[in-house]
Amino acid sequence: MYALMAIGLTLTFAVLKLPNFAHAELITIGAYAALVMSLFITSNPLIVMGVAFVVAALVAVICHRAVYRPLGEVSNSMYTLILASFAVGLILRYIVFLFVDRFDLFDKRIQVPTSVVLQNQWLTITNIFLWVVPTSIVLVIALSLLLEYTTIGREMRALADNGVLARIIGVPVERVNTITWILAGGLAGVGGALWGMYTFVNPLVGWLAILSVFAATVLGGMTSFIGTILGAYLVAFSENTVMQLLNHYLGIDFSFKPAIPFIIIILVLLIRPQGLTGLFHGAPIFRAQTTREV
Amino acid sequence: MLMLEHVAKSFDSLRAVKDVSLTVPQGAIIGLIGPNGSGKSTLMNVIAGSLQPDAGRILFDGHDITDESARDIYQRGLARSFQDPSLFFRMSVLDNMLLPVKQQRGEQPARAPWHRLWRRDEDAHAAVAAANLADTQLRGHYAQPASDLSGGQMKLLELARSMMGDPKLLLLDEPTAGVAPALAYTIFDRIEALRQAGLTFLIVEHRLEILFNYVDSVYVMHLGEVIAHGTPADIQQNAQVREVYFGE
Amino acid sequence: MLNIDLVATLIALLTFFGISAMIALSLNLEYGLAGVPNFGQALFVSVGAYTAGVTYTRLMPLLAGRDVIDPCGASLGQALGLRSEIIRTVPAVGFTNFAVTLVIAALIGGVVGYLASYPALRLKEEWYLALVLLVGSEIVRIIVRSYDPIICAHNGLSGLAQPFAFLGNSRLSSMAFAGLVLTAAGLVYLYTQRLARSPYGRLLKAVRENDMVAASLGKSVPRARAQVMFIGSAIAAIAGVFFVTNLGFASANDYAVAFTLDIWVMIVLGGLGNMRGAVLGALIVTVLDRVTQVMAIQLDMMGSQFEFNYVRFIVFGVILLLMLRYRPQGLLPEPLETTRAHAHLAEAGD
Repeated sequence: MYALMAIGLTLTFAVLKLPNFAHAELITIGAYAALVMSLFITSNPLIVMGVAFVVAALVAVICHRAVYRPLGEVSNSMYTLILASFAVGLILRYIVFLFVDRFDLFDKRIQVPTSVVLQNQWLTITNIFLWVVPTSIVLVIALSLLLEYTTIGREMRALADNGVLARIIGVPVERVNTITWILAGGLAGVGGALWGMYTFVNPLVGWLAILSVFAATVLGGMTSFIGTILGAYLVAFSENTVMQLLNHYLGIDFSFKPAIPFIIIILVLLIRPQGLTGLFHGAPIFRAQTTREV
Repeated sequence: MLMLEHVAKSFDSLRAVKDVSLTVPQGAIIGLIGPNGSGKSTLMNVIAGSLQPDAGRILFDGHDITDESARDIYQRGLARSFQDPSLFFRMSVLDNMLLPVKQQRGEQPARAPWHRLWRRDEDAHAAVAAANLADTQLRGHYAQPASDLSGGQMKLLELARSMMGDPKLLLLDEPTAGVAPALAYTIFDRIEALRQAGLTFLIVEHRLEILFNYVDSVYVMHLGEVIAHGTPADIQQNAQVREVYFGE
Repeated sequence: MLNIDLVATLIALLTFFGISAMIALSLNLEYGLAGVPNFGQALFVSVGAYTAGVTYTRLMPLLAGRDVIDPCGASLGQALGLRSEIIRTVPAVGFTNFAVTLVIAALIGGVVGYLASYPALRLKEEWYLALVLLVGSEIVRIIVRSYDPIICAHNGLSGLAQPFAFLGNSRLSSMAFAGLVLTAAGLVYLYTQRLARSPYGRLLKAVRENDMVAASLGKSVPRARAQVMFIGSAIAAIAGVFFVTNLGFASANDYAVAFTLDIWVMIVLGGLGNMRGAVLGALIVTVLDRVTQVMAIQLDMMGSQFEFNYVRFIVFGVILLLMLRYRPQGLLPEPLETTRAHAHLAEAGD
């Protein structure tokens, strides 16, 4: 799930050069779209996820058209964009709050039929788990194929690689941007929907997940897709397993758990700012790395 | 004044500067020319301390400055200008001029709030700045933001600004880039006047027709190496230079 | 119909305004003037709050010649009683403790800020510093929330009363405290304004505009950044002491990202690099904040289902976006000329 959310963030950062803190709210919106769908219309997981994708993608494109694109025309400061993304996040989050408050949708679980597939003394596997894991994997693979083998994928990578050059050789920048937003928003939405099936939905889900997601992205080197996916699994792993170990051997309380992804971010940025990407020079198909001038 | 001995600098696999030696005597104007990508700008960055050389030695004014930081090198009296106008555009012309003054008491945060401690120094610096601005016909613009100036005026301001730190040697990277021809001569006349006052110059310049009127000698770089050194007349006759530079 | 105590509201408003102004001024010094993107300002404010948590529970009993009681756990009530008793009955101890807290908080805040400027040297891209500070501030919050000795972890610590509490009359004491806060804010304003209009201010602006060129002109960019982070964070920590003693209660969750964002709204609205702008921004934001709170309460009492508190955040978000898009220089733009040397030249004539 982190992988899905993080991939979207990597996309917006690599292609659009925007560290989008409002990505959190796209996750939340996806989760709520799925929740509403599942409560009132149908509980078919595929349809639920499809709706989450569409709604979150739509919101993402609206944000791009209404906020980021006009801002990009007046300012090229990264800090302006960071601030703007915080502002967009605030606005979206509290609109969701208003809506949720009105219809009393706090802490609901997305309703899809649940059944226990396998249960023994160590673990319980429900059909939800069987939905979550394959969906994540299929979407990640689909995205990789899209980036590698389609025109739009090549154009996105060109834009990520060198924006000025891509413009010169005639990449339709605006169309690519829009599609990037659709993908980023959509994936965040599906990520939110899966999250909501797994646990509960409230207006802060995205916000609580966003820094873990940033950790995954940073660990993956900010602009590499395969790195991001690995980063996501590493973050999830350290949040759970490493925390268990720390608790077991050093007696560190579980309440420190949320600090783990943050510590990862700081360590990576300070020690190895290129993240994991350096390890994948042999697999250039997955790279959309920004080359920096000497 | 400035001596480079076998200086080299590479970026990953690209050897931008290989084994360059050159000498800039006190009070001279020395040109450094070469086609694009010949390593001139990298060499300037290495001399000024913005980049560390991989090999070789750099001596300035009798000191080994090879491993010193840009800031320390500036403090020794070696100032530089950049190819693109590198002013502080949202600051006034006068503020641009006053910034490089060394050892300002008002630059220490502990003293900054008490203007009695630095007011007199500041006014004295402003008077020097005003004189320098007057020499470059910029006196009337002192209160404007630097972004309001024309391209040529920006170049002149950069030159005037470099003077505020009392340098001994100036490294200029294309001082007339993007400047109208008449103003380009004004800039070089100003450089010549400063040389008369005792300054030394090392200048990278593409406009050879102007440069050649002012320099004592010229180094020609190609693919990271010095391929020729001599007076402008010598250089114009040099067959190898004509081949790589003028494409003959 | 408006059943609120106007005087009390006004006093509370002024106190909040003074504290916000101090924090906004410190951020404006750091980002507006020097361009250090401090997205972790809540951290430096919280340093003041945590320092107060420690001094009120450890130092104050000693100053009053009493035994220190463990402030958390079983002896919580007893310790709280002791704190309140000392503040109410021995004002001298209350004030000494408050003054010591301010000094310690400023020092710790300054040192933490100084250290926080160091990652910038190692980071590949400049904006990573924003992420590091943001995330660093969250780490500290989570640790304090989970680590007992500072402010009793997630329980928080109450009874951090302001030093005028001994007056007995709550209106009188809050007025006196508001006066103290406004005086402090006035001093901070004068100090930051003078810094901004000195050669040091010019150096900071140059570092913000183009750090490479500033370095090539012989300036130490890391030192300038470290100094401004020391000063700014010390001010923020001082404001934090006022903030927490005004609330009377320290809780790590007060110092989250949202807190930092409010401060950013103030300086973007008021004017980056303009100290008067920071004060104006603080005023507008505090007033808006109060107005929405009052409206929310009124609506609630009228039986409305509408949660007006959420609207506050939406309004702030919209303000931020509109400012960034249409007036990025803020309501009061940065003055072009740094020092009085300009006036000096003007007098000298052309």
